[in-house]
Amino acid sequence: MRYFAGIDMGSTAIKIALVDQQGSLSGHTVVPTGSFFQKNTLEALQLLLRERGIERSDVAYLLSTGYGRKLLPEADETISEITANAAGARAIAGSAAIRTIINIGGQDSKVLLLDADGHIRNFVMNDKCAAGTGRFLEMTARNLGTDVGELGNLHCRSSGAPLSITSTCTVFAESEIISLLARGHGKEELVAGVHYSIARRIVRLARQIGIEDRVFFDGGPALNSGMVAALEDELMLQVVVPAAPQLTTAIGAATLARTAWIDTGEQVNA
Amino acid sequence: MNALRRFLNNGDINRFRLWFQLGAFGLLIYGGFLAMDIGNSLPTFSCVFVDSRAGACYLYPLQHQVNMPWSQFSGGRGIGLAVGLVTFFLFFVLFNKAWCGYACPLGTVQDWITKLRARLGIRYSLYANETFGRLKAIKYVLLALLILLPLGISNSLFGLPKLPRDLATSYCMICPGRTVLPLFTGDASQLAIDFSSRTMMALTGLGMAITGGFFAGAFVKKRFFCLFCPMSALQYAFSKAGLLRLTKQGAKCTRCGNCSRVCDVGIREIADDVTSRNIVQDDCMMCFKCVAACPESHCLAVTFLGMPVYEATAEGFMRRTKRRDNHG
Amino acid sequence: MDKERRERLIRTTGVHLAMEATETLRQVVEEFPDNPRAMDYFYDLFRAEYCGGGAKKNGAMRIGMLCVQAPEELIRAAGAVPVRLCSGSHAFDQAGAEFMPAKACSLVKATLGMLSLRTAGGAERLDLVVNPTTCEQKKKAGELLEDFGYRVHHLEMPPAKDSEEARIYWQRSVKKFAAVLEETTGVRITKQRLAKAIRTTGMARSAYRRLHELAKWPRPLIRGKDVMLVTNAYFFDDLDRWTAAVTELADEIEQRRETNLPGAGKHAPRILFTGSPPIFPNLKLPLLIEQAGGVIVVDEVCSSSRLLHDQVAYDEQALYDMVPAVADRVLKPCTCPVFLSSQDRVRRLLDLAASFAVDGVVYQSFAGCMPYALEQRSVGQALVNANIPMLSVETDYGPDDQGQLSTRVEAFIESLRGKARKRA
Ligand code: SF4
Ligand code: SF4
Repeated sequence: MRYFAGIDMGSTAIKIALVDQQGSLSGHTVVPTGSFFQKNTLEALQLLLRERGIERSDVAYLLSTGYGRKLLPEADETISEITANAAGARAIAGSAAIRTIINIGGQDSKVLLLDADGHIRNFVMNDKCAAGTGRFLEMTARNLGTDVGELGNLHCRSSGAPLSITSTCTVFAESEIISLLARGHGKEELVAGVHYSIARRIVRLARQIGIEDRVFFDGGPALNSGMVAALEDELMLQVVVPAAPQLTTAIGAATLARTAWIDTGEQVNA
Repeated sequence: MNALRRFLNNGDINRFRLWFQLGAFGLLIYGGFLAMDIGNSLPTFSCVFVDSRAGACYLYPLQHQVNMPWSQFSGGRGIGLAVGLVTFFLFFVLFNKAWCGYACPLGTVQDWITKLRARLGIRYSLYANETFGRLKAIKYVLLALLILLPLGISNSLFGLPKLPRDLATSYCMICPGRTVLPLFTGDASQLAIDFSSRTMMALTGLGMAITGGFFAGAFVKKRFFCLFCPMSALQYAFSKAGLLRLTKQGAKCTRCGNCSRVCDVGIREIADDVTSRNIVQDDCMMCFKCVAACPESHCLAVTFLGMPVYEATAEGFMRRTKRRDNHG
Repeated sequence: MDKERRERLIRTTGVHLAMEATETLRQVVEEFPDNPRAMDYFYDLFRAEYCGGGAKKNGAMRIGMLCVQAPEELIRAAGAVPVRLCSGSHAFDQAGAEFMPAKACSLVKATLGMLSLRTAGGAERLDLVVNPTTCEQKKKAGELLEDFGYRVHHLEMPPAKDSEEARIYWQRSVKKFAAVLEETTGVRITKQRLAKAIRTTGMARSAYRRLHELAKWPRPLIRGKDVMLVTNAYFFDDLDRWTAAVTELADEIEQRRETNLPGAGKHAPRILFTGSPPIFPNLKLPLLIEQAGGVIVVDEVCSSSRLLHDQVAYDEQALYDMVPAVADRVLKPCTCPVFLSSQDRVRRLLDLAASFAVDGVVYQSFAGCMPYALEQRSVGQALVNANIPMLSVETDYGPDDQGQLSTRVEAFIESLRGKARKRA
């Protein structure tokens, strides 16, 4: 059996996915990026392979993607996370024709518009700014003294109107949050406010290229139910959230690794 | 084939035209000495007042032919009119308005005057364009009168009394062709006012004034008289049927304006219109200077029966620029 | 600025300029395996100009132009050498930021920064600076230059170019400019001199056009990063030498076509580059495109094809016809977005896309440049209607967005691969 690996080297986490010759997922892992990109990645890959009882030599093609994709000399090829993300959504959603992908990552967020065949028609990324990304959520959690995983619950418990966060820059938003808390506002409403502010920002981005049903929402923050609810409200549409939203891009890379391998094989035979 | 086409496209059509015009002038004005006669329905000013002409300008027979009572239109003379018109059409359709740019002796004379002015280093009038643009409609009025006046001699039009016989070839009486072209055979007899009747006096007097205007106009504006020429108006009515065409591929056009800058009759559409394929305009005389001045390959082209004969190419453009500079 | 601080600024800027230029040249020269041999002339030229303290300038008067709209034929006919001043240097951009608004566009800031220091990039000795009144920023830049002590001629341009009135206004403006030139250089512009200038610049243009035509070949024979270096060199190189070098390059490229030498791959997506001009050393975006595997086969920018495409035609060999003809060449075909209508630009882009079999368009607008940003919509719409994908990028001379940009550019090129494969 041959396997294909997709490695998504993000700014906060490294995501690895493995698919087999049939293209079905046969393993995955997520580890924090840390400062030693390459070392951490290779260790995580080794661990995953050992867990699954797969030899390194059985991994026929390795495709790296994400922010740090060029920092892994072991990769057979690199591909941008945008292409990988689209491929991943296509692989996961299958026949549920996805036309728009909204991805919130650790450092950036992006919106992709696909055609009927699932190919990228257009895309936008947010510009040089951490507001509207996972970073913003982390900062919020830190200031509330809780974990990012808790934000969803807090949001759901909120009863009053979400607070409005007006600052567009993380640095200023941070002080705004602190002062809102100091003024005795509830954590729940504040978290909801943060979610709405991120959602509004990304929807504004998406409107630049147009939004078409159905919308696929992925990236780490898609695990956060509050974030999902806020996004659906702002979009006025239901979104599809995969079971492991932070893995879409890695899965896409693995799928593309498989296609690339098949293509080269064909070229050799031809 | 490609080599031939390239050779042609690299050529300088202006030089070719200069010689062609000279040849056509000689033929039409002096051809009669060699007993040449190419018919009486020529779509160009081969003036009947030139004794040694090789054929006649259609406007002269046309005025005679329409000078008949309504009843005769369906008879033998009617057929004569139809034959004349068809002959005119056949001649015309072959070369389209290139008759103006390449054959018309009166046009050639104007081009010579232009050359003379340029030699003298005197500039053309800048405002001529705007001022004369509005006068273009005059040629259609002249064309209408040219047909209506003779008709009005034989018939009573609009309940008016029949017109005097002296108006039979009224257009010829005011046409500068009649006064200017015989000069080239040493015949200055037309340069006079005919006092035989009041009508003739008025017409020939007007003719003299127009002749003066012809020379003065040609000196300040290229092809000045052509703006008012009823032959041009008559031709334009048939121009869409021409086999020889000036075509444009709008997508290739940068609207650089080179074409309209060199156009002697100041046609702006040749540069600004990027949608029409057949780009022959009202005043166009199909001289094809514009094609030679266009630097975009395959943008402007001369076609005959749809086949490109002479096309604008970047290479040809550069050749002409270099050649011209060497010749000074 | 006090003297000491100024000296410091000059020194640091000089160091940074050399660093930038060296890095750009390294990428241009070393990251691609198949550079034409005739490109060495241009590589060396830029090395000498930017990393080696500048080439020696000969004795002729030098007239700086802040924009392509200044008719270079007249400058040459007046016996002077035109120098295009637009700068692409981030170091100069930062020097300009000392006295210009932060939101001004990089190109204007860099140009003014360079001129404020008077050290390099052609600013060392200028007898006159021509400032065509194009966009707001350049207009005002001209005034600042007067404060720096330059002799500036403001060449007044109409805001639209279609009407006859605009044309006449511009022709008068150019005529006035000719008089200023004569007064500056003391040389009379005669019809012989002007005819020669039209011919020699025409020959340079036609050499460029030949290179341009060769890019229509189905397999790309030359890369955009090289073409852009060639066209950038026109800003300051000697005219005849430049023409000879371009001719040699075109010969070699033609050879490549005949012998089937490798250029870029047949499956490489073919790109049309438009928008704000990439000027050395800021070849950031073109390089990213080609590093990602695309090939820029054609461009529509004022530092390259728009600078060198159009040709002068005149009817009568006399100044009264030739000067307006030169004026027309600059105004009528220009597709700069400062003019009222975007129609000509859209038509030009569609024609280029079709005749160069382009797979996608990259639209660069410099942060702070309103005209390009505003026209992006109509251009994008027209391309969508013609089924041509477009990537629009807002950027500046700073290196900060390199990472983000490379992701976007790569994704765009990847999305075009399928199309390119189908075509090939
Ligand atoms: S010369 Fe050619 S490219 Fe220029 S405006 Fe005329 S037709 Fe268009
Ligand atoms: S449009 Fe062209 S062919 Fe017609 S008159 Fe003008 S220059 Fe001559």
